[in-house]
Amino acid sequence: MAAGGTTDRAVGSGSWIEQRTGVGPVMAALLHVRIPMSARTMYFGGIALFLFGIQVVTGTLLALYYKPTPEAAYESVQFVTSDVSFGWLIRSMHHWAANLMILFVALHLLRVFFQAAYKYPRELTWVIGGGLLLVTLGFGFTGYLLPWDQRAYWATVVGTDIAGSVPVVGDSLLQLLRGGADVTGDTMSRFFGIHVLVLPLALAGLMAIHLVLVHQLGLANPKKPEPRVRPAAVDREPLRPFFPNYLLDEVVAWYVILAILVVLASVFPAGLEGQANPLETPAHIKPEWYYLAVYQLLKIIPRTIAVMAPIIGIGLLIAWPFLDRNPEVLARRRKLAVAGATLVVVGVIVLTVWGYVS
Amino acid sequence: MDHDPATAPEPGQLPAPDAVTPLGSPSGSATPGPQGIQSRRRFLAWLGGFTVFSTVAMITTPILGFLVPPRTSGTSGGGKVLVATTADIPPGAGKVVALGSKPAIVVSTEQGLHAFSAICTHLGCVVAWNDLAGVIQCPCHDGRFNPVSGTVVSGPPPAPLPALKVSVEGDQIFLSEA
Repeated sequence: MAAGGTTDRAVGSGSWIEQRTGVGPVMAALLHVRIPMSARTMYFGGIALFLFGIQVVTGTLLALYYKPTPEAAYESVQFVTSDVSFGWLIRSMHHWAANLMILFVALHLLRVFFQAAYKYPRELTWVIGGGLLLVTLGFGFTGYLLPWDQRAYWATVVGTDIAGSVPVVGDSLLQLLRGGADVTGDTMSRFFGIHVLVLPLALAGLMAIHLVLVHQLGLANPKKPEPRVRPAAVDREPLRPFFPNYLLDEVVAWYVILAILVVLASVFPAGLEGQANPLETPAHIKPEWYYLAVYQLLKIIPRTIAVMAPIIGIGLLIAWPFLDRNPEVLARRRKLAVAGATLVVVGVIVLTVWGYVS
Repeated sequence: MDHDPATAPEPGQLPAPDAVTPLGSPSGSATPGPQGIQSRRRFLAWLGGFTVFSTVAMITTPILGFLVPPRTSGTSGGGKVLVATTADIPPGAGKVVALGSKPAIVVSTEQGLHAFSAICTHLGCVVAWNDLAGVIQCPCHDGRFNPVSGTVVSGPPPAPLPALKVSVEGDQIFLSEA
C-alpha cells in the first residue's frame, strides 16, 4: 500500500513537503522507470544536457559583467578575465564547455544513429534532436562574436558571407543576420540578444520535449527493434532501474566531465586576440573547429555547391528516420546505413583536419 | 543454518541483520557480522554526505566570489591627477572637475587655489561655485561652504567639505587626496 498520494490520503501522513505540494506521484512517475539492461547510451546525451547547464550558469555570470557594445565589449571581457574573482575560470569554462557541448551533441547523434535508436517509435525524438543540434551550432556562432576581438569579428564576417552565398535567400539572410549590410554594433546587439534570450529559450523548450519523449518511450534496445504491437506474452528483456542505478552512472560521468572542464580551463585558458579592427583582416583567419569542414569544402568545390551541401546534408539527417525503410537495428543487418555513415564521418574528420593544417 | 535456502540471502543482497555467520564457518566466507555491516553503511553514508557537501562548496565558492564586485581603481589611489589649467580657473572663479570617478571643486581665491571634494556633506549632491556670493553652494538645500577652509557658512550641511591637495606645475593644476 503506497503511503501518501493515494486518493484517501490520511491527514498528516507523508512528509512536510509532500503534504503541501502533492509532488510525490509526479516524482515517482519520473524516477521509478526501468530501462533495458542492454542499453548502452554511453551517457553522451546526459553529458550534453549537463554541459548546457554549465553554460547557463557560467553564461549568466558573464552577462553580469559583459557590456554588449563594440566600444566596451573587449575591455569588459578583459576585465572579467583579469580583475573579477574567478573570472578567468568562469570565462574559460564557458569557452571549453561550448566546445565540448558541440562535440558531445555530435557523439550523441552518432551513438543514436549507429544503434538505430532513431527508428520506430523514436522518429520524433530524433527530429527534435536535429533541432537541438542546430540551436547548439547557433549558440557557437552567435557567442563567438561577443568578445569583439579580431578573430571574433572576422570569423563573423566570413561566416555571414557564407550565409549570403545561399541561393535565392542569401542576400536577405545576410542582412537579417548582420542587422544591416556590414558587421557592426547592430550585429553585436542582434547576436547578443539571440545568444542570451532566443536560443536559450529555444533550447530549453526543445530539450523539454526531447526529454519527455525519451522518458515516455524509454531507452531503445540496441539488440532488437521495438515491436509495433505489444506482444501478448511478457517481454523477457531484463531491466534495471533508472533511479538510482542509471542516474548514478550519469552523475559519475558528469563529475568526470566537470573535472575535465576545470583542467582544460586552467591549462588552456580562453584567449583574446587584438581588439576588432574592421580595416585590417588578419592573415590566416580560420573558423572554430566545428566549422572547419565546411570552410575547407568551400576552398575545394564551387561556392554554391559547398554551401548547399551541408544544408542538404543536415536536412537529410533530420528526415532520416522517415527515409530509412529498413526495420532492423543490428549493425550487421543495416550494412548500407552503417557504411554510408562511417564514410560521411571519416569525410568530415578528413576535411576538418585538412582545414586545420592548411 | 547459514545454508538453508529459505533463509540464505539472495545473490547481491546483504545478509539479514540478525543472521549470524560465525568466522571460520564451513562455507569459508568472510561475511562480516552485523556490526561490520552497520559501520560500513555508516561510513558510506558519511562519505556520500561529505561528497555532496564538498560538491556544493566547490560550486558555490567561485560563483559567490565572482559576484562580489572587484575593487576598481576608481579614484586616483594616492597619485596626483591633472584636472585643469590655470587659464580654466581665473581669480575669483571656481570649477567642478573629475578626480577619478568622483567630483572635486577647485576655487581660485585671493589666498590662492583651494580644492575640496564636491560632494555636499548634507545629502550628497554635487556643489557648485557661486561667483556672485563668493561661496561654494549646494543647489539642493542651499548649503554654503567657505572657499578657503571648506567650513559650513550656512545651511543644513553638518560638516565641512573634505580638503584636497592642490599642486601647480607651470599652468597645470594637479589634485590629490589630502
